[in-house]
Amino acid sequence: MIMTILYYILTGFIAFLIIWNLLKSKKWQEEILYIIILMPFLLRLFRLK
Amino acid sequence: MSVHGLHIRKCSFVILGAILMAFAGTSFYNSRHLREPVVLSPGVTQVKKLSDYFPGIKGTINDSNIYILEGTEPGGTILILGGSHPEEPASRLTTWILAENAAVEQGRLLVVPSANRSATTVTRLGGAYPPDFTIPTPWGGQKFRMGDRWSNPLDQWPDPEVYIHYPSRQELAYVDIRNLNRTWPGRANGTLTEKTCYAMTQLIQKENVDIVIDLHEAELQYPVISTIVAHQKGEDLAALVSMMISGSEGFDIGMEYSPKALHGLSHREIGDHTQAISLLLEAPEPFLDATRGRTDRALLLEGKDEFVLRAGKHGLLFEKMDEDGWPIDIRVGRHCSTIIYILELWSEENPEKAVVARKIPRYAEVKEKGVGFFLRDPTKEDPKNVYFE
Amino acid sequence: MSMATSAQIILAVMVGTYLIAKVFKVSTELSMFAAALAGAIAGGFGIPARHIVEGAFTYLDIVLIFITATLFMNLLKESGGVAYVIRGILRRFHRRKSILFVLITFLLLLPGALTGAGSVTVLITGGMIAVVLGYMGISKPRTAAIIFILASLSAAAPPVSLWAMLTAAGVNMPYVGFFLPLLLPCVLLSLIVIFILGWKGKPVDLKKALEELPEAPPRMNWIRILLPFLVFIFLVLAGRIWPHSLPVVGLPMMFMVSAFVSLLLSPIKLNFLKISRDTVHQLLPLIGTLTCVGILVQIMTLTGVRGLIAITIVTLPLIAVFLTLFFFLPVSEAVLMWGAAPVLGVPLVLLFNTIGLNPIIALAGMSVIWPLGDALPPTAIIGRLTVQTVGMKDSYARMLKHCLIPAIIIMVVGTLMVVFSKKLSFLTLL
Repeated sequence: MIMTILYYILTGFIAFLIIWNLLKSKKWQEEILYIIILMPFLLRLFRLK
Repeated sequence: MSVHGLHIRKCSFVILGAILMAFAGTSFYNSRHLREPVVLSPGVTQVKKLSDYFPGIKGTINDSNIYILEGTEPGGTILILGGSHPEEPASRLTTWILAENAAVEQGRLLVVPSANRSATTVTRLGGAYPPDFTIPTPWGGQKFRMGDRWSNPLDQWPDPEVYIHYPSRQELAYVDIRNLNRTWPGRANGTLTEKTCYAMTQLIQKENVDIVIDLHEAELQYPVISTIVAHQKGEDLAALVSMMISGSEGFDIGMEYSPKALHGLSHREIGDHTQAISLLLEAPEPFLDATRGRTDRALLLEGKDEFVLRAGKHGLLFEKMDEDGWPIDIRVGRHCSTIIYILELWSEENPEKAVVARKIPRYAEVKEKGVGFFLRDPTKEDPKNVYFE
Repeated sequence: MSMATSAQIILAVMVGTYLIAKVFKVSTELSMFAAALAGAIAGGFGIPARHIVEGAFTYLDIVLIFITATLFMNLLKESGGVAYVIRGILRRFHRRKSILFVLITFLLLLPGALTGAGSVTVLITGGMIAVVLGYMGISKPRTAAIIFILASLSAAAPPVSLWAMLTAAGVNMPYVGFFLPLLLPCVLLSLIVIFILGWKGKPVDLKKALEELPEAPPRMNWIRILLPFLVFIFLVLAGRIWPHSLPVVGLPMMFMVSAFVSLLLSPIKLNFLKISRDTVHQLLPLIGTLTCVGILVQIMTLTGVRGLIAITIVTLPLIAVFLTLFFFLPVSEAVLMWGAAPVLGVPLVLLFNTIGLNPIIALAGMSVIWPLGDALPPTAIIGRLTVQTVGMKDSYARMLKHCLIPAIIIMVVGTLMVVFSKKLSFLTLL
C-alpha cells in the first residue's frame, strides 16, 4: 500500500515536471509530444486507467 | 512567432489533448463502473462474499460474490470459477447461466462469475479490446465488461521486475503477478491477486469443496485447447467426461494432465494444497490469437477471422477453424455440457457426495437458442433478487 | 473487401503518412503518431480516443524506469561521482587492456541482466565506460557500437530476459531452464564483440587523460559513489531472496531511492528540481517514442494490420522462417519493441514446438537476436540513448556500420541455436 502511494507521488512529480517543461517549450513539435506523454501520467493520477 | 501567438498555439494543443483525454477518461471510467446484473435463479439459496472466508479481502474490488445453490438433500460441493481471465468471456457467461437458471436437488453448487473482478475492469494495453460487449436477449440485450488477463494496475501497482511464485519460488514473467491463474494457492499478506487466491483457497477448505472447475478460453494456436486439464486426483473423472461427451454431445473435448512443473495454476495448486479435485476447461477463442485481424466486438462474439483461418490452413492451429468461426453460443454451450457431465459422472461414482442439478442448458440448446435466451431481464425482477458483478 | 485487402490498404496509408510526415521534417515520434491516426481513420474508426490513450499507457512502467534511472545517473554525474570513478578505473587498469575489457564486459552486462532492460545498462554504466574507451583511442562511433551491442546482450542475458519471459508467458511455458541457454551466448558474444571492436584500442595515456578529465570535488570518495549502487543492488537482491516477506518495490522506486541516496551523499549542493526537469527534457525523444509506439501498436492491432504482419511471417515456408529470423526479429523489435514478443514470439515458438524443436533453446536463440532491433529506426530506442549517452556527434549510420559485423555474428549464433535447438536441449537441464 505504501509503495503504491509512493508510485502515485512519483507519477505526480513527473507529471509536474512534464507540465513545467511544456510551459517553457517554444517548439511546436515538442509541445505536442509533451502533451501526448502527459496523458498517461494524468489519467493514472486521476485513477482512471 | 509573437509571444501572443505562441500562447494561443500552446493553448490550442492543450485543449485538443484535454478533449482526447476527456473522451478516453470517460470511456475508462464507464467500463470500470459498468454494473452487470445477475438475476438470482430460484435455486440460489444464499449469496456470500469472498471476505466471509478471508477478511483480508474485505473492502477491495476483488471481494467477489459467491452464489450458493443448495439442494434439499445433502451431498457434495462443486465450485465453479468464471472470470479467472475475464478476457475469455465464455467463462463468465457460463457462470451467469448457472446463477440465473440452475436448480440443485442434492449437494451444493458454488458459482463465482468474477473470480478476478479487478481484471474485469481493464482492457489489455496494446490489445485494442472493445470496452464491453452486448449479448442479445429476448428482452433486448445485456451489456458486459470486457476484461483482461491481468488485474487492473489501479488495484495492484507496481509490478516487480520478476515475479517469484509463492510457495514454489518459480520465476515467472513480471506481469503474471497480476494473473489470477498464476498466483494459486495464494498468500494472505501478498498482493491483491495473491490475496484473492488465498481467499478462494480458504473458501475451498472451509466449504469442503470436492471439485473446483475453472472456466477458460484459449487461442487456437495454443496446444492446450478444447480440453479438460486435470490434476492427477481428477484424471479418471476427466478422462471419463471427455470420453462420454465426445460420443454424445456433438462436440469433442480432450483431457490433459496438469504439468507438475508449472506452478501457480488452479489445476495444479488447488489439487496440491486443498482436498479438492481441480479441473480447468478450455474452449476455443479466436479473438485471443496473435494472428487475429481486425479486433472488434464481432470477432469477440462470432469468432470469425480470415487470418486465423489462414493459420489453420497452414497447420498452425490446434483446433479446427472454418468460415463459421467459433460463436460465443458454441463456446458457452461446450462449458455448460462439460459441467453437466462432470456433475453426473462424479455423482454416479460418489453417491454420498453427489451434486445433482437441473435446468442447466446443454450444448445443443445453447447453440440453438443462444446465450441471451438464458439471461433474465433484471427490470422485471424483484430488486432484492438482483445482484451486481 | 477481404480482411487481408483492407489491412493492406490501412498499412499502406500508415506507411504513406509516416513518410509524408518525415518529408515535412516532422520528428519520428510525431510521424508515428500521425501514422496511427491515419490508420485509425482509414480503418473506419475515426479518432478512437480510448484506443489512442490506452496505447499511450503501454510502456508507462518502462517510461518510469527510464526517467528514474536517468535522474539517478544525472545526479551522480553532477555530484562529480562519474569523473571520480573514471579517474579511479584509469589509474588502476590503464596498462592492462585485456583485464580492462573483461571488467567492462562485466560492468555492461550486469545492470541489463538484472533488470532486463538494455537502457539501464546504457544509463548506469554506459556513460562512464564510454569515457574510458575514449581514452583508449577508440572512436566515438565504435565506442557507441560496443556499448549498444553489449547493452543489447545484457538485456537478453539472464536472470531477466523480457523477450523470453513475455513469450514464455504467452505460450504458458514456465520461465525455467533458460539460464544457461541465455547466459552462454550472451557472455561469449559480449567478449567476442568487445575484443573485435576494441582491438585497436591502445593503453591509456594516463597523464594526459587525468589532465583532461574534469576534477572530482575534493570531498568525493568511493563510499559516496558506491553506496547508492549498493542500495540499488541490495533492493534488487532483497526482492529475489525474500520476495514473500517484502513489499513489491519495482525498478522505478529502486532507482528513486538510489537517486535520493546519491543526492544526500553528494559533496556539493545539487539543484534537485532543475536536474529532474532537465532529465525529463533530455529524455523527451525516448519517452515520446515509447508512448507513440504504444499508440501505433494499439491502432495496428485494432485495424488488423498487426495480424496481417504476424500471419504473413508465420505462414512462410519453414526454411524461409529460419533464414529470415535475422531480419524479422530485429525489425519487429524496431517497430514494436517488447510488443514483438507477443506478436511474433508467441506464434513462432508455437510453430517451432509443433515441428519438434526445443522451444526453450529456440526462444533463447531468438532472444539474443531480438534486441539488435533496438538500434534500428523507427524507434532505435537504445541506439539513440547510447549515442546520446556517449555524446557522439557523427551521423547515426556510422555507429550502425560498426555494429554490422558483431550483429552478423549474433544473428548467426541465434539462428543456429533455433535450428539446432533439439541438439542443444541438454543446456536446459544443467
